[in-house]
Amino acid sequence: MVPLSDREISAEIIESCRLGDRDAFRALYDLYKDRVYSISLYFFHGDQAAASDVTQQVFLKLMTGIGQFRGDAEFSTWLYRMVANACTDAARRRKSDAVLPDHPVEAIAGPASQEEDYARAQIARSVRAAVAALPPKFRIAVLLRYFDELSYEQMAKALHCSMGTVASRLSRGHKILAERLTGLVRSSAE
Amino acid sequence: MMLTRHPSPRLAAYIDRQLPARKARQTEIHLANCAHCRAECEQVRLGMAALEHLPVIEAPAEIWASIERASQERRARQPVMSGRWRLAFAALLILALVGAVYWAVGNRSGIRWEVVRLAGSPVVGSQRIQAAGRIGAGEWIETDSASRATVRIGEIGSVEVEPNTRVRVAVACPAEHRLALARGEIHAKISAPPRLFFVDTSAGTAVDLGCEYALKVDADGYGRLQVTRGWVSFQWRDLESLVPAGASCWTRAQAGPGIPYFDDALESVKQALVRFSFEKGGDDDLSIILAGSRVRDTLTLWHLLSRVPGADRGLVFDRIAALTPVPAGVSREQALKLDPETLKLWKEELAWTW
Repeated sequence: MVPLSDREISAEIIESCRLGDRDAFRALYDLYKDRVYSISLYFFHGDQAAASDVTQQVFLKLMTGIGQFRGDAEFSTWLYRMVANACTDAARRRKSDAVLPDHPVEAIAGPASQEEDYARAQIARSVRAAVAALPPKFRIAVLLRYFDELSYEQMAKALHCSMGTVASRLSRGHKILAERLTGLVRSSAE
Repeated sequence: MMLTRHPSPRLAAYIDRQLPARKARQTEIHLANCAHCRAECEQVRLGMAALEHLPVIEAPAEIWASIERASQERRARQPVMSGRWRLAFAALLILALVGAVYWAVGNRSGIRWEVVRLAGSPVVGSQRIQAAGRIGAGEWIETDSASRATVRIGEIGSVEVEPNTRVRVAVACPAEHRLALARGEIHAKISAPPRLFFVDTSAGTAVDLGCEYALKVDADGYGRLQVTRGWVSFQWRDLESLVPAGASCWTRAQAGPGIPYFDDALESVKQALVRFSFEKGGDDDLSIILAGSRVRDTLTLWHLLSRVPGADRGLVFDRIAALTPVPAGVSREQALKLDPETLKLWKEELAWTW
């Protein structure tokens, strides 16, 4: 999983945001923006415009709605529920994301100048394509697990489903990934 | 050694140490004795490891800039106060507070929402709105055939009031924003945690679950809810229709919400649903609905399950099962008994196709 530091949002920051403190909101944004953007980016197969739209939409909603956040749910659960809803709503609007163009890997992984970098970029490209090909319900679960260390209970709340369903989606999603990437991951791990 | 059931669905939870101790132990024992599951577990681990190749990507700086711009636009709509007026404002504030306390005695919250004229001459109470005005709890806004207006719902969104509409602000406070739509049409855009915005009609209450929708109702209580983003729950007595983006449901006074359907469903299915929901439609209508349903129409079928006579529930169950696999944890027996947990679990699975 992605190593995270300072991932706990203090009640003080939340309270300051509720009172309209823009610096506190910026701190909140800085803490979560990359994870929200990355989840959206990989959800939409590297489509930067779609990921930017979702990220902007999520934080605008957050800014508007944080005054009503009562603290009866964990902040990250609420945030990722908005991310999951925004991604799935946007995916629905696109009708079918099976026809999404394959965005160039350089767009999200940077240029590959050395052979090793090139090989790594190629693997990343394959993994990204395999993630993008997952059914949306598996895709969002897999990305939420990877980009934040949410417990299964938190993920269940964020995805409006049971913990058993979360476990099942993660099991099936990761298994499909492994099947699609047979050889690639194993050889890179060796 | 006797093996437990194959633990495939919970392998990720086992790897992530999210299983309760007893289940983790059962899984461990099973894996020690089942080569097939060990291989499957290894695959799940490899899938997890594959993700390590995906870096966190820094969000472009333009996103914050666009959030700032949107936020400034919102602030620009609010009155601006310069520094040298602050002292005078403080004095006025004291007077205003006294007034507010007095006002609060006669008004549940004292909060008054902004009303902006979009066309014609909308009326709030008995006053015509020329450009902008205010509306508080207990007051009506009414539009004629040439008038339209926007009501800003506190900090959580806005409602456009279409021509020939009469709507009242029932509650205006931070914990509850409630309108009562007597007739006409409104478009609501709400960005807030669920269950903060409600619209009462003679057919029931639309409960916002974070969404954008149109709601219309005529003087006889015939109406329609059409959702364009997020979800809305329409409730009347024990009846509830959950309507996602792209779907609608008809409503009737003293009958509540009809069964929701996707707007792109077959016309014959939609017509059968109206007859079935409100005109005591029979077997023919049920057959039309079942035969014309696609995978995403399990939205309709899931709602139908609890609204058909007990003898017909099996037909509905079988049709859903034919369209999409029944998930683990949902049994035919429990579903036909309308077990709430079973229906909830099934809905959560089906909702991914809605």
